[in-house]
Amino acid sequence: MKTQLLPASPAASSSGRPELSPTKEPARGWFARQYRQRMLRTDLLTVIAWASVAAAVALWLADGGATNITTPAALFTAGGIVAGLAGMDLVLLMLLLAARIPFIDRTIGHDRALEFHGKLGKPSLYLLLAHGVLIAIGYGMAEGLDPVSESINLWVQVPDMWLAFVSMALFIAVVVTSLVAVRRRFPYEFWYVVHLLTYAAVATSIPHQFSVGGLFAAGTWQRWYWLAICIYTGSALVYFRILEPVLATARHQLTVAKVEAVAPGVVNIVMRGRKLDQLAGTGGRFFIWRFLAPGMWWHPHPFSLSAEPIFNGPEGQGTLRVTVRNLGSGSAQLLRLRKGTKVALEGPYGLLSTAARTKNKVVMIGAGIGITPLRALLETTPFAPGEATVLLRGHTDQEIYLGGEILDLCQARGARLFHLTGPRGHGRSTWLPDDAVRNGYSLNSYVPDIADADVYVCGPAAWAANVIADAGKAGVREEQIHHERFDW
Amino acid sequence: MKIRGTVAAALASAGILLAGWQTGTQVGGISTVASSTTATGTTGSTGTGSSGTGSSGSGTTGTGTSGSSSTSGTSGTSGSTGSSSSSGSSSSSGSTGTSASGTYKGTAVQTRFGPVQVQITVAKGKITDVTALQLTNTDGKSIQISNRAAPLLRSKVLAAQSANVQTVSGATITSDAYLTSLQAAIDAAHL
Repeated sequence: MKTQLLPASPAASSSGRPELSPTKEPARGWFARQYRQRMLRTDLLTVIAWASVAAAVALWLADGGATNITTPAALFTAGGIVAGLAGMDLVLLMLLLAARIPFIDRTIGHDRALEFHGKLGKPSLYLLLAHGVLIAIGYGMAEGLDPVSESINLWVQVPDMWLAFVSMALFIAVVVTSLVAVRRRFPYEFWYVVHLLTYAAVATSIPHQFSVGGLFAAGTWQRWYWLAICIYTGSALVYFRILEPVLATARHQLTVAKVEAVAPGVVNIVMRGRKLDQLAGTGGRFFIWRFLAPGMWWHPHPFSLSAEPIFNGPEGQGTLRVTVRNLGSGSAQLLRLRKGTKVALEGPYGLLSTAARTKNKVVMIGAGIGITPLRALLETTPFAPGEATVLLRGHTDQEIYLGGEILDLCQARGARLFHLTGPRGHGRSTWLPDDAVRNGYSLNSYVPDIADADVYVCGPAAWAANVIADAGKAGVREEQIHHERFDW
Repeated sequence: MKIRGTVAAALASAGILLAGWQTGTQVGGISTVASSTTATGTTGSTGTGSSGTGSSGSGTTGTGTSGSSSTSGTSGTSGSTGSSSSSGSSSSSGSTGTSASGTYKGTAVQTRFGPVQVQITVAKGKITDVTALQLTNTDGKSIQISNRAAPLLRSKVLAAQSANVQTVSGATITSDAYLTSLQAAIDAAHL
């Protein structure tokens, strides 16, 4: 059994590290309250999302839309209008989910926000297609034309309508390239650029909504409401996706201080900057980094801090550290980063943090490079000595990155630590090493009280899925599992 | 927790939809009243004389109130109707008006922006006036278009004495409907 067990030791331990300033332990029940509040915010978001769709339809109802359905043609037209309103509303919701609004991020997390964003993709496209088809049929019937001639008429004769047709084509392109089957055939960058066309798709769809649509004619309150939600969405995108990152980059003025090898193909990138006190306690959350060097600046890297910021100046001057493994062409360049390279950052994002805690006990399970965010989380997340367990998985001890630092932290704060090394096992707990599986170990064997703990999981997607399945069998409820998916 | 959110969302959505529906039925009532008054206004303009009842009878929508308002022949065009004194013969327009004098209604042509219907006034086999009974009016923009296109079309038709005139650019849909209705009116007048 290549596992290693450290009995819980009191917080004041003897490791060579400087004082760790472990966060003050909160009162009992604090995490449960935090969880209840987060659920309340989740419900609020659910209500807002559904209510906004209802409101879009209500705009039309309030205009007497339903009372005007007197002919079959009017019925088709009405269906088309409602589909268009609901479809546009879903598109705006999608944009808001992708806008990295802090309220959404600390409520459901970045990855779940993007998951909902993705789930809305197809429904919104179907609604927009239905909008176009039903309107063409309805208008056509009113004039005695077939839908195709009617569409051509609309394109040719009605101002702003050609833009709406362009918009429809763009929406189709964006959704099709986002389908998993299609997306896998293209590099990330291709998908990303096509996805940027969403903004063009939305922009070209807006003129006809206000000029052709009678519902939003000048002087109606519906027009003001629609304008307001469009402007709000646009502002949120501009602020949180462009302005705030630029401000953060200017505020912290990060430069690469040094790049040091941790293991073969793995480096620590240490960056020097200002006002880093504002980033304290973000362990586990991730930032999007751009290293502003030729050929690299456009490539965004999502990395978590692998240690709390270290301050050495009166205004929060100090250093940040990320630990990076050479995974792709983009990461390979990082190993050769030059000292002094300027760094742009966005974030922090995600819920792999203390903000997600629901219980007093905590378990952290990491594999490979996924160990490093847990290293930072372990440093600050509050727990009483003996109430934390850390499970680290690697092929060899060398693959337990930052293993030494984690050992020190566990000793200092009183956490149990297991190194799970060896080749991958077979059977149901394939996240464990082979010998552990053959001995019949599961998650419960290492953490008997796991059902009463928050479980942070960080590692490759398939491995993490196995861990989460095992945790579920051990009685861990869904809301206790905290896992950030980095795969796009 | 999930159930609480879903229930709350469903209730909020239902409430919003209900409020929208409630407002809508009120607005709907007003809008039908409004459309009926505009209808009577235009039909009133044709009558001027005694035949107010005849025209209101054939008026499209609920023109119950038209009797009272018909006396105030609104538009300037009614003047010309009066001068031609063909109002008396309008009773024949309903049926087989062989003498090509009187007022003749075209069919109401449906467009995506609302129905269009015109009426022509004929004196001694000549179109002396064209009145729009209904014009595209579903929203501000189409009303604007209608107001611009109708006078242009009227003068073109009076000059050409037929429906074979150029459509007004930027108001193609309204023009097409206008001329279609006009042709029907011309057919009815056996011109």
